Amino acid sequence: MKKFLVIAKWEFLEKLRTKAFIISLFVTPLILFLFSYLPGKLANEEDQTTKPIGLIDSTGQYTIPLTEKLSSLSFGNNQPRYLVLNLAKKDIPYEQLKSDANEKVLAKKIDGYIYIKYDSLAKPVIEYRSRSVGNFHDLDMLEATFNEMYRQTEFRKYNLDPALVSNITKKIEIKSIKVEEEGKESKTDFYAKFMTSYIFIILLMITIISSGGMLIRSLVEEKSNRLIEILVSSCSANDMLAGKVLGLSLLSLFQVAVWIVLAVGFAGASLATMINLDSLLLVLVYFMLGFVLYTSLFVGLGSVVTTEQEAQMLTSYLSLVILLPIIIAMPIMQNPDLLLAQIFSYFPLTSPAIMILRLNNVAVPAIEIIITVGILILSIYITILFSAKIFRIGILSYGKRPGIKEIISWLRKE
Amino acid sequence: MLEVINLKKEYQTATAVDGISFRVEKGKIFGLLGPNGAGKTTTIRIILDILKPTSGEIRFDGKPIDKEFVNHTGYLPEERGLYQKSRVIDIIRYFSELKNVHANQAIENGVEWLKRLEISQYKDRKLEELSKGNQQKIQFITAILHNPDVLILDEPFSGFDPINQQLIKDIILSYVDNGKTMILSTHQMDMAEKLCDEIFLIDKGKEVVGGNINEVRKKYGKNSIRVDFSGDKSLISSIPGIVEINVYSNYAEIELNESTKPSEILKKLVDIVEIRNFTILEPSLNKIFIDLIKKSSE
Repeated sequence: MKKFLVIAKWEFLEKLRTKAFIISLFVTPLILFLFSYLPGKLANEEDQTTKPIGLIDSTGQYTIPLTEKLSSLSFGNNQPRYLVLNLAKKDIPYEQLKSDANEKVLAKKIDGYIYIKYDSLAKPVIEYRSRSVGNFHDLDMLEATFNEMYRQTEFRKYNLDPALVSNITKKIEIKSIKVEEEGKESKTDFYAKFMTSYIFIILLMITIISSGGMLIRSLVEEKSNRLIEILVSSCSANDMLAGKVLGLSLLSLFQVAVWIVLAVGFAGASLATMINLDSLLLVLVYFMLGFVLYTSLFVGLGSVVTTEQEAQMLTSYLSLVILLPIIIAMPIMQNPDLLLAQIFSYFPLTSPAIMILRLNNVAVPAIEIIITVGILILSIYITILFSAKIFRIGILSYGKRPGIKEIISWLRKE
Repeated sequence: MLEVINLKKEYQTATAVDGISFRVEKGKIFGLLGPNGAGKTTTIRIILDILKPTSGEIRFDGKPIDKEFVNHTGYLPEERGLYQKSRVIDIIRYFSELKNVHANQAIENGVEWLKRLEISQYKDRKLEELSKGNQQKIQFITAILHNPDVLILDEPFSGFDPINQQLIKDIILSYVDNGKTMILSTHQMDMAEKLCDEIFLIDKGKEVVGGNINEVRKKYGKNSIRVDFSGDKSLISSIPGIVEINVYSNYAEIELNESTKPSEILKKLVDIVEIRNFTILEPSLNKIFIDLIKKSSE
């Protein structure tokens, strides 16, 4: 067997058997699941009990219609959403009413109360006062209900038919259709697109960080106990480099494959409707290119570090660069032709992630794909060349970490 | 025969090896000796093709070493360490496969070596479960299992108890008897003295002395005696012909000048103190080296 294959097999099997790997294989998807699923689930999950809310209408105009409207809202099973209590009383000043209502809120007798008054231009101003200001569900509901009621009463003043009004003011949604190169049209579901691109970028990130981290840790271990000397006295540095990169890359890809199988297993068919990839093949090309580029970068940098701490520092810095596309993903998704997006598409370290985002979202011209793939392949070639040089010398340097000058002098050699 | 010819390794700021040459004969143990930082490790790394020399070359059996050569070398570095989390037999197989030994053959040989070093019971254990000494044995096996033509051992005895030192020593001797080439690098002069046929002392990258161990001894050995005595030690130093005297509780080591014979001193000593034992000292390698290195750095 070729020696680099011997090394690749060893790295793959030995890391596969470690407890840390087995744990991360199952814990990481669990964490990802909790991260992506729980917040949305919690935000959408509302407690299905009728909320008592107060109403103080200093204008006297809206008490009856608003109470009617709000009381008619239900959870869909005829259970009303709100129990509206009129807190306004004759002969009692509004300031007094408000402070009484505040007490009720604090005593949790009511969830909150609506206060309506006129501003200087005789337009109604409406406030919702409650203990929590973050309950956007209730706020949306109250606002929409009030506005509908307000429009209807205003139109009625001018003797217009409310049915006609509601027909005219009905919101008409815009459907977004992506026009592709060949004149093909496809329906866009922004959310699905965003999520699929996002999932791919996060997978890319995790595989890069985990395999890069493993690579650096394995190098540091072998350097610290001088195993590296036995290795390089048995095979060439290039065999070692190729073997390690191959073995650990396969391990990371195996990890991703397991996760995908797990995801399909759990989510099953519902996943198929969610996944929305028009250019799966190209996305995979960028994924692999990005992965290989970062891994070869990790090799070069990893052979320079001499201690576990340095390795951790390096890994976290590189992780930040890998994270960058995730931070700028939202603006790019909303406007894929942004100049910023163009620039980051050509910059090798961000190119894979940004291209995955853009490919999914706009019709990227073929020439741009060719150029970016070209840039990536060239960058990989240069990185491997440099990394291999640094690696050959770096793996045998112990103790003090070499400075930039020293590394440059290594690159000049041969 | 392994030949090191005019080897030189320069770094930007220092010269690690400065034009050394030596020959290592088959069937003999060659001691590469010298203080820390003398250039021993650099020399070894160049022989193993880990480093490229600035100039000079390494020849084996008359031919310059090539890529194939790495499969015929075995190396035990001074600083030990293997994959702690891996199984003993897997480690042995891995390093053998890296030397182009087929996996099945590697396991077969590995089992045999484990038996020979009396640690068969650990075959399927993880390395971290073994004692330090047993871990060292595993590392020794990885260096020798593929039956290399050239075996380089750096401090092979450190970390072993006397019984295991003996075990390793026997293996080394029988290995060389099979006509193999062996370089032994060590600080333990008593070990070098017992095992090596040829020695090569290096300091600051340069040869200090080299050749057959008995010739080196003869050439650089001092004229010394040891006397076990009782009586007034202050009188001893008054005897003419003594260069240096080290007095211990009940014996003294006395270095004589070149023209003085030990028997003359004995005659004079008999009159001064009561002598229980009188020995003419073989010059120790240790002493020779300390003297030579001191001289070379002056």
